[in-house]
Amino acid sequence: MDRRESSQYHRVEDCTKDPLMNRYCIACLLAAVALPAAADTKVGLLLPASGNYAALGQDIEDGFRMAIAESGRSDIEIVEADTEADPQTGLTMARKLVMQDEADVLVGVVSSAVLGAVRNFVHQSQVPLIVANAGNSDATGKDCSAYITRVSFSNDQLNRPMGEWMAAQGISSVYTLAPDYAAGQQMIGAFSAAFEAAGGDIVGGEFTPFGKTEDFGPYLAKAQASGAEALYVFYGGADAISFVRQYDSFGLAEEMPLYSVGFLTAPLYLREQGKAATGVIGALHYLPSLESPENDTFVAAYQAEHPDTLPSEYVVAGYDAGRLLLGALEEGVEGREALANALPNVSYTGPRGPLKIDPATNNIVQNVYVFETVEGDEGMTHKLLDTVEAVQDAPNGCAMP
Amino acid sequence: MFRLNPLRLATFVLLVISLALYAGFGGFFAREIVAEIAILAVLAIALDVAAGFGGMVSLAHGAIMGVGAYVYALAGQNGMTPWPAAASGIAAAGLTGALIGVVTGRTQGVYFIMATLAFGQMIWALTFSADWLGGDNGLGGIMRPSLPFSDLTDPLSFALYAIAVIVIVFGLATLFLRSALGRTFEAVHENPQRAASLGLSLIRVRTIGFAASSALAGFAGVLAAQHMQFISPAMMVWTASGEVLVVLILGGIGTLVGPALGATVFVTLKYWSAGWTDHWHLIIGAVLIAVVLAGGHGIYGQFERWYRHAFG
Amino acid sequence: MTTFWILQTLNTLQYAALLFLIAAGLSVSFGLMGFVNLAHGALYMLGAFIGVTLSVQAGFWAALFLAPVTVGAIGLILYLGLLGRVARLGPMPQVLVSFGLVFIATEIVRILWGDVPLSIDIPSALRGRLDMLSVSYPLYRLFVIAIGAVVSLLLWLGVNRTGLGAALRASVENRTMARAIGIDTDRLFLWVFTLGAALAGLGGVVAAPITSASAGMAVSALVPALIVTVIGGMGSISGTAAGALVVAAIEVFGAAIWPAASSVLIYAALAAALIWRPQGLFKGAVSH
Repeated sequence: MDRRESSQYHRVEDCTKDPLMNRYCIACLLAAVALPAAADTKVGLLLPASGNYAALGQDIEDGFRMAIAESGRSDIEIVEADTEADPQTGLTMARKLVMQDEADVLVGVVSSAVLGAVRNFVHQSQVPLIVANAGNSDATGKDCSAYITRVSFSNDQLNRPMGEWMAAQGISSVYTLAPDYAAGQQMIGAFSAAFEAAGGDIVGGEFTPFGKTEDFGPYLAKAQASGAEALYVFYGGADAISFVRQYDSFGLAEEMPLYSVGFLTAPLYLREQGKAATGVIGALHYLPSLESPENDTFVAAYQAEHPDTLPSEYVVAGYDAGRLLLGALEEGVEGREALANALPNVSYTGPRGPLKIDPATNNIVQNVYVFETVEGDEGMTHKLLDTVEAVQDAPNGCAMP
Repeated sequence: MFRLNPLRLATFVLLVISLALYAGFGGFFAREIVAEIAILAVLAIALDVAAGFGGMVSLAHGAIMGVGAYVYALAGQNGMTPWPAAASGIAAAGLTGALIGVVTGRTQGVYFIMATLAFGQMIWALTFSADWLGGDNGLGGIMRPSLPFSDLTDPLSFALYAIAVIVIVFGLATLFLRSALGRTFEAVHENPQRAASLGLSLIRVRTIGFAASSALAGFAGVLAAQHMQFISPAMMVWTASGEVLVVLILGGIGTLVGPALGATVFVTLKYWSAGWTDHWHLIIGAVLIAVVLAGGHGIYGQFERWYRHAFG
Repeated sequence: MTTFWILQTLNTLQYAALLFLIAAGLSVSFGLMGFVNLAHGALYMLGAFIGVTLSVQAGFWAALFLAPVTVGAIGLILYLGLLGRVARLGPMPQVLVSFGLVFIATEIVRILWGDVPLSIDIPSALRGRLDMLSVSYPLYRLFVIAIGAVVSLLLWLGVNRTGLGAALRASVENRTMARAIGIDTDRLFLWVFTLGAALAGLGGVVAAPITSASAGMAVSALVPALIVTVIGGMGSISGTAAGALVVAAIEVFGAAIWPAASSVLIYAALAAALIWRPQGLFKGAVSH
């Protein structure tokens, strides 16, 4: 990624701070003066460019820039800040974007820990934040804010339908595995509650040490010994690749089919998982193989820039964050407060189908797609099994002003 | 014994004044950077007391600092006002250090490093998985203290307050190292046989020294909690302690001025290089190696040698 | 239930084999030179990534052989150009330089191989499972156990049954004395360091089909390797093997029996071992 891509105004900001750059500044300022006088909208991208989540940050940024470029608008400036997937750095960068760069709106936040860190600051400084990944259910539940709008998903939203769906398929007992951190616990919690409410039985489960478990052998052996009918897991990143391959190498597929939150076999990891991922069933809010005119156009546009790569759900989240912002701007609003009010009113049909924002929580309302990972003509792909339409979270303690 | 010679004092004063000027005239982000430098500098000075003077190289100081930060936050949640809460945080960090010191007192060298790694990681893992501490999502809504003559919610006032904390911790570290206790702590490191023959209890002296260093790390924890108004286990993981150790060696171990200088250089370098590349770790790595190849005494240590050579 | 415990025992052996490969070089370079090479995990990471590229170009078996050779060569160059000089400077410069190398290696991997983790396909000869002792265990994991066993046996023979090994043992015991009786310790260190790097590279390429290669490996592999080294006693091959078995057993059986504590168990064990035996559990020949 090239930081020099940021717009002209960003450079003006930078160089006025540095007296040594004065000559350059004058040139910049002249160029700036030449632009139309209408107030531009400044977007602060709050994404990891280094650390564990750098690949996700890159996808979200690509998607966001795609939406802005598509609109043809030249009055939107983008300023980037690297959160490094570290809550402290994330908060420092959010403060910088709001107070120094005077961003009108923030977009991004990959990790839930970073969202937790910036939540109070965003709420108190009354800057709208469009969350493009972090799924912590509390952010649109008991910790919700009129300034926080989420276009990605909530942990509850993806796991609850899967619990109900699996029970409806006649699966009666499940063993669960997930990393031992807040998101892992929330995902498995939401799944288990829904599955048990629908009459299923969680016979056991384990939370594996976060960021350290590379060998799942010991846990797969426990799952096997539990005698459950199916295995339900949540893993992402390097863990997703390792887990699927190890599950396959132990030959568990024959006795204990693998179900998951769809991140496990998402496009980002599918190539590395290869045939080991065959038969894994998951639920996700976007699949590159969805058949709709909107998605066809989107995939074609993405592949023009990234040949041989399918857009991931992160690209779509970044793209929809851009579309949401554009939708609000088309209403003619200007400034932080007006943007915050306008964002939840935007609704449209995008690559992932119809989407709108629930005014009670500011969380997205969207379809959840249940899919099976299968071998296609050109490598691994996702086969749609079922669509759970317009999935909406309960307010869960959220009280909007 | 630690000598606060004129060169060291002058360098420290100059550094503090530069930070204050940068905060005053550098705009909003400069104030955030100065506060971040201050937190790292305080922690590095604290580690210098243990590692530079007592030979107790610790990989638990990030975790100990975290204990200070969490206790400050919890005390505030339970109705304590900021200053007593800060005192509790510092005391808790000191106590944690005393406990680690007493059980690891017999280990030396790399075994001591590994023992501190073990305890630091245990503290981190327990915090990470503790729901009542917010787990990896951390704790938010932490209060800032108030001072009679300035408003600490203002970034400039907070940056100046953070600089004042560096001065206080630097002063406390100097006082400790010059006290009878501090001198014994150093003597035990430099000549353990002789200290033992004088009837000194090695473990006791080392425990007290480590506890003192940990209490100073508690200052860094409280300051970090007040600055971010949010804390998470990320500050406690062993790589965070490793980073402080790197800052300390980069600046010049065993000088107290070096760590403050190292923190300034490290944070400035980080933001400067992150401004134009995503691969800023590469720059930092190259600088660390360059410092060693230039002599290995750290920036300030090298400067002091050069100064003595030229004028002494 | 016996099936379960046999399975976990095999998992322990498999994990121990990997730990041994990573820790052997670390242990010996520490025992010989007093050099704590924090960049050792980075060599393991490079082994995995170089293995990924080589296996795509030339297949798994070529990668299995060439990746360790490449990483050994990188270790040799690093030692000649940088680490050899630093090894004499004492622990503080070592920490600074090896931390610097970790930063640099991680970024180079990100630049060359990207941010998405990669994996190696298991070769067809090692796919599938072997049914024995009433359990069905992945063939590839048995292969890892075999590699660990063969390498540790070869190393043990090399150290205890050859002239070079005798020189090595003498140098670990007492460096000055070894020099006095005409052992070129500097040269010995160079080759030992290179071999250690190659073993870390082997560990990386062997691990990649199981754990996948990611830029976080340089740091995540370091801590368990350090623990193995400390528990096993530095500079001893049999100690490292014992340390690897102990750490693997704690990790695997901890996960099986007391999962709630599994994230702290290994650290608690390390702390307990150090408090009980401040010089390491299986105290090998330690020069100071």
